[in-house]
Amino acid sequence: MALVGNLRDFGLSDFLYLVDRGYKTGGLHLAYQHEMALLFFEQGKLLLAVRRPEDVQAALLVRLGVLTAEELNRARSGLAMSADGTTLTQVIVEEQLVPRERLQRALQAFTEEAVYGLFAWPEGEFRFEQNQRPAHDTPVIPMPISVDHLIMEGVRRIDEWGRIKDRIPSTDMVAHFLEQPREHLKGVKLSTTEWRLLARINDRDTLAELAQKTGMSDFEVCRIVYGFLTTGLVEVQRKPRPTSRGSQPAEPPKVKKSLVNRIIHRIKDM
Amino acid sequence: MQTVKMVVTGAVNAGKTEFIRSISDIEVVSTERRATDDTRMIKHETTVAMDFGRIAIADDLVLHLFGTPGQKRFDFMWEILSEGMLGLVILVDSTRPETFRETNRIIDFFVSFRETPFVIAANKQDRPNAWAPDELRLALRQPAHVKILPCVASDRASVKNILLELLYVIQENSEEA
Ligand SMILES: Nc1nc2c(ncn2[C@@H]2O[C@H](COP(=O)(O)OP(=O)(O)OP(=O)(O)O)[C@@H](O)[C@H]2O)c(=O)[nH]1
Ligand SMILES: [Mg+2]
Repeated sequence: MALVGNLRDFGLSDFLYLVDRGYKTGGLHLAYQHEMALLFFEQGKLLLAVRRPEDVQAALLVRLGVLTAEELNRARSGLAMSADGTTLTQVIVEEQLVPRERLQRALQAFTEEAVYGLFAWPEGEFRFEQNQRPAHDTPVIPMPISVDHLIMEGVRRIDEWGRIKDRIPSTDMVAHFLEQPREHLKGVKLSTTEWRLLARINDRDTLAELAQKTGMSDFEVCRIVYGFLTTGLVEVQRKPRPTSRGSQPAEPPKVKKSLVNRIIHRIKDM
Repeated sequence: MQTVKMVVTGAVNAGKTEFIRSISDIEVVSTERRATDDTRMIKHETTVAMDFGRIAIADDLVLHLFGTPGQKRFDFMWEILSEGMLGLVILVDSTRPETFRETNRIIDFFVSFRETPFVIAANKQDRPNAWAPDELRLALRQPAHVKILPCVASDRASVKNILLELLYVIQENSEEA
């Protein structure tokens, strides 16, 4: 079944997070005014992103200068003779028409550029067709790429509060590191400013205090922390409400187990 | 006579009234009004104050179910309705990602300051293009220990299951004798 919605309500970085953490396979179709985009994912990693329908065709490789027209024909006939399920990319790599690294670099750069542009869309319909795979002759990146650093790069391009506010409603929130940030967060490349802020996160200072200590603007701090949040590096919580006596907030009275059990029995019998 | 209370909340049109109707022993007391403002885009009737349903547990014990109004301008009701509740069901319309942010705001309001036992019900699972509970967990950024359960609010068995799952969470936080 398809996941449908609008990027206005569920942003691209949220979607990338979902695909990544959910190890999703499928095609994400995006449309905004006259523009389109199509992204293919395999197990949460990005295989290819295009901004024009014709770019899913093998001729893309010629346009990118990766193959000559003649080499592409050889790859195509190789594909025609291969076992079912073989992809054009596999044929190109196996027949050594181009070094794998070169193919990787060209398609990865093309895909990243396609995705970065999408972060500028203020809205756009999306439709994620689960388990939709590219055609066998669609060129795909030999080693699919992790979307983490795309998320971070997308967040760097945010220039208004709107998007940040729903996740970070105020600057008196405190950022905490998640207990187990993921293995492949290693793939995220942080800028110096981002590192500087990351180093200051200490479970105590609010975002406003972090801004003061680093000399950054509130917006910059919130935007960077939003990026950390979106990649799953930190979480934010409100600073606990100070209580008048300076003690812990009063625990609500506990209910009796016997009472709960009575309700459970009754509802089971309904 | 002892009464205990549970609250059913969620964004506009999540299915709160439907949920309470499916399980209440009495005709649900709703304050449906013809929807005005932006809510009218989605539906004709909306709850303006609250829904109220009840389940008799025994001669001396009643469970009250309160549904919060969905529209933002009734947020002030939340505090009042949630006072002294045993637990909370947060309904999400799994077919409308445009409500996920509002859902997070609601979760934040009810759950961040107190240890309220709660479950999230991924409602309208019978509809095509419903996001699955696992997808909602990622979309709403909820940790693994939070229960996110499939739900069809018009189906009594499904509502029963949600209430039981919530009761198990409450049971874990309850005290002996
Ligand atoms: N298919 C399907 N429809 C549902 C389900 N639950 C609710 N609905 C429908 O969704 C619409 C909204 O349900 P309500 O119960 O009015 O939602 P609400 O949360 O009380 O809405 P407000 O009071 O306006 O905030 C109605 O048309 C219901 O019939 C469900 O599980 N499946
Ligand atoms: Mg209602």
